[in-house]
Amino acid sequence: MKLIDKGDVLTVTEVKELGANNSDAFRDEVKAVLPNGFRTIEIDLSQTSFIDSCGLGALIAIYKYATGQNGSVAVRLLNPLPPVQQIFELTRLHRMFEIVRRDPA
Amino acid sequence: MSRARAQSAPCAQFRYLLACDLEQVPTARRAVRRFLTEQGLHEEEISACELALVEACNNAIQNVREEGSSRPVEITVLCTSSKVEMSVNDHTPGFDWPDEITLPELESERGRGLFFIQSFMDVANYLRGKDQNSLIMHKMRCHQEHRHTAGAASLHELQQRLEDTQQVVSDMARELCFRTESLCAIFRCSTQLARSNDLGEFARQLLADLLHITAADWYVLRIVPENGRDLVRFAMSSDVEVPEIMPLSHAGRNIPIEVQAALRRREMLFGPRQPLSPSDPLAGVGASVMGVTQPLIANDEVLGTLTAGKKNWTTPFSPPQAKVIQTFADFLAIQIVSARLCEEHVRNRLLAHDLELARNIQRSLLPKSLPQLRDFGVAGFCESAREVGGDFFDVLQLSDNSLLLVVADVMGKGVPAALFAAILHSLIRALPEWTQKPSELLARINWHMYQDLSAVDMFATAQVALVNSKKNQMTVASAGHCPVLVVQNASTHVTSISPEGMPLGILPTTRFVDEVFELRPPCRVLLYTDGLTDAPERASTTDRAAWSAANPVLPSQERLQDWLLGSLSRERSAAQLRDELASELARGRGEGQLRDDQTFLIVSENDSLDAENG
Repeated sequence: MKLIDKGDVLTVTEVKELGANNSDAFRDEVKAVLPNGFRTIEIDLSQTSFIDSCGLGALIAIYKYATGQNGSVAVRLLNPLPPVQQIFELTRLHRMFEIVRRDPA
Repeated sequence: MSRARAQSAPCAQFRYLLACDLEQVPTARRAVRRFLTEQGLHEEEISACELALVEACNNAIQNVREEGSSRPVEITVLCTSSKVEMSVNDHTPGFDWPDEITLPELESERGRGLFFIQSFMDVANYLRGKDQNSLIMHKMRCHQEHRHTAGAASLHELQQRLEDTQQVVSDMARELCFRTESLCAIFRCSTQLARSNDLGEFARQLLADLLHITAADWYVLRIVPENGRDLVRFAMSSDVEVPEIMPLSHAGRNIPIEVQAALRRREMLFGPRQPLSPSDPLAGVGASVMGVTQPLIANDEVLGTLTAGKKNWTTPFSPPQAKVIQTFADFLAIQIVSARLCEEHVRNRLLAHDLELARNIQRSLLPKSLPQLRDFGVAGFCESAREVGGDFFDVLQLSDNSLLLVVADVMGKGVPAALFAAILHSLIRALPEWTQKPSELLARINWHMYQDLSAVDMFATAQVALVNSKKNQMTVASAGHCPVLVVQNASTHVTSISPEGMPLGILPTTRFVDEVFELRPPCRVLLYTDGLTDAPERASTTDRAAWSAANPVLPSQERLQDWLLGSLSRERSAAQLRDELASELARGRGEGQLRDDQTFLIVSENDSLDAENG
């Protein structure tokens, strides 16, 4: 996983898998850098081949943290692969997250 | 930790032992994905299977307790042309599979695992067992892609497949054999046990079978005796030398493995990876010894340990063999409990038999019929609180005109009290020269009984009354006993005669006093023990008045006196009075059990037709 600081935007990329074994670390790492004045977090899921219920839990925790207290940070999920997209739809989380499809910048 | 084998269609099996560690889950997932890809599953089916499998494995690892964490999660995947069957065996305490699985709130971070399993699988069954649960999931194959057909396969491939299939069948047959042999051994030995009721022989036979089934070389069975402090050798292989007793109170380092298993209540493995401490008694079994110690637990109580092992660690126990050892340990625990219950039952029956015997002896001490005087009738009553008590009465005819009445109460109840009552009874009859003088009689009895009574911290109270009808007088002496009650000649009050005297067995030499009293018919004399008037034992002295007021049915001292006074106005024989008072006492007792022995002797003036049975 890689965190890229683009001024207003924090981009999280190179997330290969998001499961019970790494979801806590993923969540804590993102939460740790969040207070640095970002207005948007973009989590690039284009390389994420697998996600389980714990991985979803980590994304929800980040979303709650980012939008919760100040409500100022937007969370975007970029280009999820079809199986992951299917999981978001099945769990109706596509209604909570802003899921964006666009070519990598 | 993994053990995988893949076969080709039509029925391919894949097994994987997943260490109880979340970090290992992705490796297992990728291994299963590879296997399913080889079987020609569609990507969509593979994704569904791997997600359901990962959720099952996460649950198995996240919910495990310490005792299950050393055991791997067993994954088995069977793939046929029409479906995939995955089973995940965990060692968690298990949970109740919900009737309905719904999505949690959008913002909830947890609670979607079972939802995924249900959504992506066609069938999901959760089977709960002892120490192990199985989640069995089926996924029907929609996208069938028969990559392998018999026609296209080469002879070599076919041979390879045949060999693989034979291997699967042979593995399954071996496992089935273990189970069958265990069951047979258990049935065979149980039948033997039912015949002989010899737990030692039963255990030796059962464990000889265990060695055979598990290919173990040796065993040691230890049992915790009822004191709960030690592990005591109960049975073992003939070529093993281990100490007979090992205290369970071991502290510090180098605790023997058997003691550890008992204290930690879980199986303990030893072998090349977990070597025994050199000071462990089992280390002496062999230089490269390996094995497992299972605690025997029933009703949450550690009853012992079963250790089975091999002298050479080149061939460790297979999982089915380890399972058989555990099954035998569980079974032995049940048998030990059952044997102990059986022993206790026999002990209780023996005790009941002893008490019944003592009761018969004590009953035989009470006179069958009471001697009567021409002018006075006597009747007696004795009811024991337990099978045998310490109360008794006796009536001795000294001459045509005189009777000696005795009522005594040995402190306590049960067999010891009854034994002293028997001694006291014999002494009274053995000292005829002193019967004319009650105080002297008591002094002699005290002198004879002091040593025996004081040696066991017991004592007795007694009352002796000599009734002389010719002189119309009564001489009373008391050894710390309750008073003799007398009413006579249209009197309006009860006279309470209570001469001074210590209970028997307190001091080696004690002086007793004779009190002489004139008897003018009509009259009633009552000698009794305190069981007639005492409040329940738990009531303190200050509570007794309140207790008596609240329980008007039971006679207090005053009520007993009132009853006696009232009886004077009715023409009653001693036997009739005895029956009246006995039914009063029964009424007072109600349904409850008698708290103390109740004994009394009642004297009433009458004609001598009142010959009476005690």
